[in-house]
Amino acid sequence: MSQLPGLPTWGEGWLASYLPRATSGDILRGDVGRGARWWNHLLEGMAGLGEGNLNHLQDRITRQVAEIGTSFRLPGEAHERPWRISAIPLLIGEDEWRGIERAIGQRAELLERVLADIFGEQALFRDGALPAVMATGSEHFWRTMIGVPPPGGHRLHTYVADIGRGPDGEWRVLADYSRAPAGAGYALENRLAASRVMGTLYTRLNIRRLAPFFSAFREGMAAACKRSDPRIGLLTPGRFNQSYAEQAHLARYLGFLLVEGEDLAVREDQLFVRTIEGLKRIDALWRRLDTRFIDPLTFDAQSAIGVPGLMDAVSAGNAVVANAPGAGVIEATALSAFLPGLARRLTGEQLHMPNIATWWCGQEREREQVEAMLDELLIAPAFGGPLPGLPDGRPVLGADLSPAARAELAEGLRRRPQDYVGQEVVHLSTAPTLVDNMLVPCPFTMRVFACRDADGQWTIMPGGFARFGAQGDVRAAVMGEGAFSADVCVVAHRPVDAVTLVPPKVAIRRNPGTLPSRAADNLFWLGRYLERGEATLRLVRAALGGTIEADAGAGLLPRTMTRLRGLLISSGAATDWAGGGGDLGEQDMLALALSAVDGNGLASVRRLLANVHAIGEGTRDRLSADVWRLIDEPMPEGRAEDAAGLLNRATALQVRFSALAGLAAENMGRTAAWRFHDVGRRIERAVLACRLLRNFADDDASADDLTTLLDLTDSQISYRARYMTELSLAPVRDLVALDAYNPRSLAYQVASIGKHLAALPVLRDDGMAEEQQLIAIELGGLVALAKAEALGGHAVMAIENRLLALSDAIGRRYFLQGGEALRAASMILA
Amino acid sequence: MRMLYDVSHRTSFHYAQPVRFQRCNLRLEPVRWSGQELEGYELTVTPRAALTVMRPGGYPVNMVRMLLEQATTELVIESRFRMAVDRDVPEIRTDDASLGDVAAAVRASGDLSSTGPANYLFASPLIALEAEIAAWAAAELDPRRGAVEAGLALATRIHDEFLYDGAATVADTRPIEAFRGRHGVCQDFAQVMIAALRAHGLPAAYVSGYLRTIPPEGQPRLVGADATHAWVMLWCGPARGWIGFDPTNACLMAGDHIVTAVGRDYADVSPIDGIFMGQDQQSVDVAVDVEPVEA
Repeated sequence: MSQLPGLPTWGEGWLASYLPRATSGDILRGDVGRGARWWNHLLEGMAGLGEGNLNHLQDRITRQVAEIGTSFRLPGEAHERPWRISAIPLLIGEDEWRGIERAIGQRAELLERVLADIFGEQALFRDGALPAVMATGSEHFWRTMIGVPPPGGHRLHTYVADIGRGPDGEWRVLADYSRAPAGAGYALENRLAASRVMGTLYTRLNIRRLAPFFSAFREGMAAACKRSDPRIGLLTPGRFNQSYAEQAHLARYLGFLLVEGEDLAVREDQLFVRTIEGLKRIDALWRRLDTRFIDPLTFDAQSAIGVPGLMDAVSAGNAVVANAPGAGVIEATALSAFLPGLARRLTGEQLHMPNIATWWCGQEREREQVEAMLDELLIAPAFGGPLPGLPDGRPVLGADLSPAARAELAEGLRRRPQDYVGQEVVHLSTAPTLVDNMLVPCPFTMRVFACRDADGQWTIMPGGFARFGAQGDVRAAVMGEGAFSADVCVVAHRPVDAVTLVPPKVAIRRNPGTLPSRAADNLFWLGRYLERGEATLRLVRAALGGTIEADAGAGLLPRTMTRLRGLLISSGAATDWAGGGGDLGEQDMLALALSAVDGNGLASVRRLLANVHAIGEGTRDRLSADVWRLIDEPMPEGRAEDAAGLLNRATALQVRFSALAGLAAENMGRTAAWRFHDVGRRIERAVLACRLLRNFADDDASADDLTTLLDLTDSQISYRARYMTELSLAPVRDLVALDAYNPRSLAYQVASIGKHLAALPVLRDDGMAEEQQLIAIELGGLVALAKAEALGGHAVMAIENRLLALSDAIGRRYFLQGGEALRAASMILA
Repeated sequence: MRMLYDVSHRTSFHYAQPVRFQRCNLRLEPVRWSGQELEGYELTVTPRAALTVMRPGGYPVNMVRMLLEQATTELVIESRFRMAVDRDVPEIRTDDASLGDVAAAVRASGDLSSTGPANYLFASPLIALEAEIAAWAAAELDPRRGAVEAGLALATRIHDEFLYDGAATVADTRPIEAFRGRHGVCQDFAQVMIAALRAHGLPAAYVSGYLRTIPPEGQPRLVGADATHAWVMLWCGPARGWIGFDPTNACLMAGDHIVTAVGRDYADVSPIDGIFMGQDQQSVDVAVDVEPVEA
């Protein structure tokens, strides 16, 4: 849609219709009023990109978010939801941003000093500047941390604030976060999605880039470590955590190892990660796990997800944990009441950005004030948790309290006034959002991220994300119900330097470093399950194909069909098929195939895809976006299918498995990670070849059996290329079992496995082979010496058993659960 | 009157399968506390394990870290000591701080040391503040009432209304469950009393320790002997400080009580906890002997 000359442009039109609807505090209206042009440029640019239709841009951004895989969970939900992002970024001028940057840096430094005092000298308490309950009221206050100097010198390495902009344009801090606040990854992904759609528009607008912030963070963490080339981990609670996807993304982006407690071990006050090469030193952890759970020997003895002894390594100065355990104490709402005074006392300065005015009811006068102004104030927990009158622990406007809640609150204030604060109601100014292809003003809050750089100075991420919610005050916008986010962009006056993420002095390396045992385990099983799924699909197609052709008069012998049925059931695919023995009709075969695809059997395609999804989720930091998208795609549903319909669906599914196999074969770096994935596939394929040989190539095999075997092993063409004759038992056996030139043969798999195991690290330093290598060598010998004529069921069974033993030996040697239970069991309290 | 006790506390673990790499926290050596003096202490672990005295852990608790790398099916931990106790029964005085004054004093307190009352004012990992318990205790906890008198009244009420029943609760029974059943053992009674006091804004600590075995002549044998015991301390204002109340026996802490450790709840003071690698099948046998010695 092009525009006629002489008429106002789309951008001008949008601005003209937006301005009258925006109230005086609106950020766009303020900027335009001061003569800033960036909103005009943004909207003109977006009009060009969207050809006059903003909804087009919104659709594109939404697609990008899905593409990048940004998602989140609400607490208690099993499935991730897509992250909602507005097409219109929130622009903030460089001058206004500089004030925010300065204030957030000041606040972070102030909070560091408060923490240093709480866990050090405690002079603030002795001198009466802070009552002791300001520390003890927080569930994140851990007395064991008193007197433990933080390795690297700082307790805060990251700090996050929610800030809000009042109608007068003044910013206020709404909340402080020092534990493991989510969001930096979302900010990054918002930017990624938006800039893919906006193209060069962001560059033309001089939008400051986010990448330098993440470099600074990585360098800051590294600088806190003792060793010069440290290994750093991101400690995650695991894939059921609500922001696991974000954590995996950040770990990959920052080059941190994504680790769970089980992956780590402490020996003699040193922290290690369990890898396929044994225990390897790890220097620092960015934890996304609450202090309570990180070390059962120091904090909660019942924690099963922590690292026993972690705090010994920290106390000895050998492990940096960011943020330090106990840092969460400064998150208490009540502390805001004291921060203005603490700023003057500790830094000699006023707070550059005020927090919400807060009255802590633990003080007589303040409590009386709150009681007097109850209706106008937000009543909130001072330290968190549900309280009498505040049953869900969320702030409530005094005027909104029911009479019953009001009575409960009065009782609570009488018994434990220290648990409550009153806060001024901050009204938020608005910014443009997109509703039905129109710009609509909507109130917002913003999350700002700060980290320490290599010199220990605070660096603020230029941007972050804004959250828009329905409500006009600070109760707004937890991500979730109806809320959505926008990319916050800081507009510089001059073009910003193109930033390279590669710092100048990097030693080149070709190996990505040690592979944690858990990752090796996951990749191995990912390979096995994917191969198994493909095998089930082949069986399903053979079974259906057999019956379809039967109608045309060229079907398989009943005995061959019975064998297919037997395999579908014994492989665990169609275990809930209720049919009986005897000859199989078309309907029986269809029911059986449906069960193998959609049923509850352990090897049904649906179950296998669910397993693959679960493992893939736990290995997100090592899967490319393309691989994850294929894994994350829902299973195609069929309803009331006939054989042809199911056959189509099975074919479509098989294409997906093939695509995954292709990506693994062509795109994965030839590292240990790839080797484990490939060994998993090879073992599975080899075991399958054995099962097929036993069923379709025993001494009494018919021609139908043999042709089915060639179909199932994808070896028809290879056979035809080698033999002009009819199907014959020994040549088929040789091709499927022993022919090393056939990439589907047992021999080929065994040879590949042997090569992989020879290339993987060993722990023994005496030059002797390890168990898994010995079994691989033995298998190689068995296959090399076998003769097709003598390769009956028993001989194949012997090979199959050694393959299963090999899988176990690999697990014992390389994976966490190998050999003995490494998971610590809690000792009964005596 | 000064009493002398010989105490032994022996804990034997038996595992169905050998376990290895056991790491435990032992909180068995009594802390320094007013009215008692430790006159010799010995900790033995069989098989021999590496023992490290840990830096003070935040609360009045002595902690030793035990590390046993070798595989074993038996583990015996024995703590032996001689303790002199010279502690009169605290008096109830007319000029005791009122509960209201105590609550105000703790809110304003700047004492962040391990015995500072502010540490014991809030919900702790094992003791939630429950409206139900708060309402039940309100009759005893009028803010105008003297702190020591009110504390004893509450301890007595628990003793009178609750049934001592070793089979009714387990180590991790929550206070609210014990409260609703009006039953339990010393640990449950102490935690219910603490929950009640804290819900009314009063600082209350959990004490683990021992109670003398042999009753004085002519008096009944006290419940809780021959095992570790638990009771409550209430901070009764700056003048009186921490006073102990034993809800299991409806009495004040005095010459029969030996304080081992003080914390917010059982988790801070549990005599032994830790981890090992192996199967989770164990049986535990605890033998405690508190023997008065002729001075």
